[in-house]
Amino acid sequence: MKKLLALLLVGAMSLSLVACGGSTNEAPAEEAAPATEEAAAEEAPAEEEAPAEEAAAASEITLWTYPIGNWGDQATLDTLLADFEAATGIKVNVDFLTYADGDDKVNAALEAGTAPDLIMEGPERLVANWGAKGKMVDISDLIDDTDKAEINPAALAACFDAAGACYEYPLVMTAHCMAINKTTFEAADAMQYIDAETHTWTTENFLKAMEAVNAYTGTQVGAVYCVGQGGDQGTRALVNNLYGGTFTDAEHTKYTWDDPKNVQALEKLVEMDSINFDAGIAGGDEIALFYNGTLDVAFCWNIAQQLNPNSANTGAGLTLEGDEIMFMAFPSENGTDTKLQGGIWGFGVFDNGDAAKIEAAKTFIKYMCDSEKTADAVKAANYFAVRDTAEGADLSGIWADNEIMAEYNVLMPYLGDYYQVTTGWAEARTQWWNMLQQVGAGNDVATVVAEYCGNANAATGN
Amino acid sequence: MNTKSISTSRPRKLVIHETVTSYLFLLPFLLFFVLFVIYPMFMCVFTSFFDATMGREDIFIGFENYKRLFADKVFWIALKNTMIIVLVSVPVTCAFSLWVASVISKMPVAATSVFRCIFYLPVVTGSVAVTMVWKWMYNNYYGIFNYLGTNMGILDKNINWLGDPKYALGCIILILLTTSVGQPIVLYVSALDNVDKSLVEAAAVDGATSFQAFWKVKWPQMMPTTLYILIITMINSFQCFALIQLLTQGGPSNSTMTIMFYIYYNAFKLFDYGYGNAMGVILAIIIAILSAIQFKVAAEK
Repeated sequence: MKKLLALLLVGAMSLSLVACGGSTNEAPAEEAAPATEEAAAEEAPAEEEAPAEEAAAASEITLWTYPIGNWGDQATLDTLLADFEAATGIKVNVDFLTYADGDDKVNAALEAGTAPDLIMEGPERLVANWGAKGKMVDISDLIDDTDKAEINPAALAACFDAAGACYEYPLVMTAHCMAINKTTFEAADAMQYIDAETHTWTTENFLKAMEAVNAYTGTQVGAVYCVGQGGDQGTRALVNNLYGGTFTDAEHTKYTWDDPKNVQALEKLVEMDSINFDAGIAGGDEIALFYNGTLDVAFCWNIAQQLNPNSANTGAGLTLEGDEIMFMAFPSENGTDTKLQGGIWGFGVFDNGDAAKIEAAKTFIKYMCDSEKTADAVKAANYFAVRDTAEGADLSGIWADNEIMAEYNVLMPYLGDYYQVTTGWAEARTQWWNMLQQVGAGNDVATVVAEYCGNANAATGN
Repeated sequence: MNTKSISTSRPRKLVIHETVTSYLFLLPFLLFFVLFVIYPMFMCVFTSFFDATMGREDIFIGFENYKRLFADKVFWIALKNTMIIVLVSVPVTCAFSLWVASVISKMPVAATSVFRCIFYLPVVTGSVAVTMVWKWMYNNYYGIFNYLGTNMGILDKNINWLGDPKYALGCIILILLTTSVGQPIVLYVSALDNVDKSLVEAAAVDGATSFQAFWKVKWPQMMPTTLYILIITMINSFQCFALIQLLTQGGPSNSTMTIMFYIYYNAFKLFDYGYGNAMGVILAIIIAILSAIQFKVAAEK
């Protein structure tokens, strides 16, 4: 009997330790019913165009934000939120997320029914993930014709799902790019391959430049990092641009990275002496290696890094050793047809079933994204506004006093398709970096690419 | 008559009072146990029979998750890697801990305490901090292993310790060993102190060698401690997660994928709760079977 009890206890202990939190068929049913009823109750007054009267805004709401520029900084937000409270009487409590565990925290909160009222991130999470799972409020009523005319069309389109529901109000955007150690490139006589005015280069010149730097330093120049998904926009953009391949189709229904042009690009990267496929580092590690001078190019870069490399506060556009950093578009066949990955960030509202809090959250969004205060919200993010004007306030010149930001504007016309809203994105990202590991291990590129792209498409039902 | 009834009813009342009091003392833990052990355990089994994900009603699918699991080649890789971790780390941890404990327990008390502290340090240090230090040491570009290896002529060129499928799992096991030996060493030192000295002396008088005294006299007395160490080390090894999450994410090429990490990936990245729970059930069954074997073997000893 004692043995049996002991065994049962061991089983109980081990099972409980490995048990995952998850929904059951009963729990969601209990939660879903009132949520549906309340959602319906909210929709009715909206159709009657009197939402404000029907649902008075709550006096206190919560915001969870990922580290988007200084939106991850308490002191900056204290000022912004104090101004908002003074103007509206709504107090906003903030919690800061990290990219390492932020998704898990939000998912756990959603399952537990303790999600925040507001969240700040990009469409890949707000639209393609939580929006697609019915956790977000459709805020398309916040976007009128004037907004549609003012907001960058590509950025706005990414905030809507295929059915026309809007799950994110965009605030800022940027173009992800790459960077070079200009000091080393000059010493290696590799600047001749770069158009320094437009910050672009052709694939042919990129290959020559990498060869020249490799010959000069005698060490590895760049790394195709692939330990995980961190910074994977850089490796995708590198591979897609080299010979003009694509990642998804234009309709965002299918992953197309088994495109022969991508296979060609990967084969080329594998054979380069200057580049190594590194399954031991992610984008953040690559930035650190670039910053400390170990690598001479970084594929994971954007304006935030250019302003404050490696978040080390040691000077804009400079490495640890004081070398000059130059941001660059990814190389493409003719140099000017590069398509940069977009970063779009804004606010979404979780459907917590509280009409008053939803109303307050919408007030917050309107205040931050479409008012005379939008300039402050944009500047706090350290990125570019998605619109030139907001309620008559001119936003086009808010970075005129910042030379680096002004210069970075040269890349914005190269903003490519925001395909991160394609179905099955979480699975596809995993397949991508796992595929890079296999390619780096020396497996046949075409076979590996076909297999992993096929796995990604299986997640979309294709 | 009256006196007799009082004398018999008093103990009964006392027994009831003591029983109720005992259960009241147990109640807080019992609630905790039911809420955080029994209920999750039940939910884990229950959910494993559903196609459960975020944002929609769960769909009952019977044993489909289990069928899918046995056809999932990544699950088998994860199971193989997990078993390798367990089979290497459990015996090595136990043997190393026993050796260290037997050496330091013969030292003066102060020295024993110092060594206990040193070996216990990785246990009380935050796992993230420990992992980050190891990450630097393993670094492909400027890690100390590559630095020493290349400068001492042991390595021809830098090795990408965590980025090469040949080395990654071994590197994870090495970290796991350093964080696992602290508690067993402390337990073994205590167990050795508690060994009946008169029996050891009697064995010596009878002409037993040190090894014979250890194997025939000390070792049987330490068996309960050994059993406990075996089981906690095995469970810890099965649940190796933080190291994988922070260092390799299961890669490269699934070479460090473990069942725990695969459960996390399916449940929290792909929102496939039912499938994740099915894996959890299988893992629990494996742990329970191995624990039962250990109980059985230890009982026979």
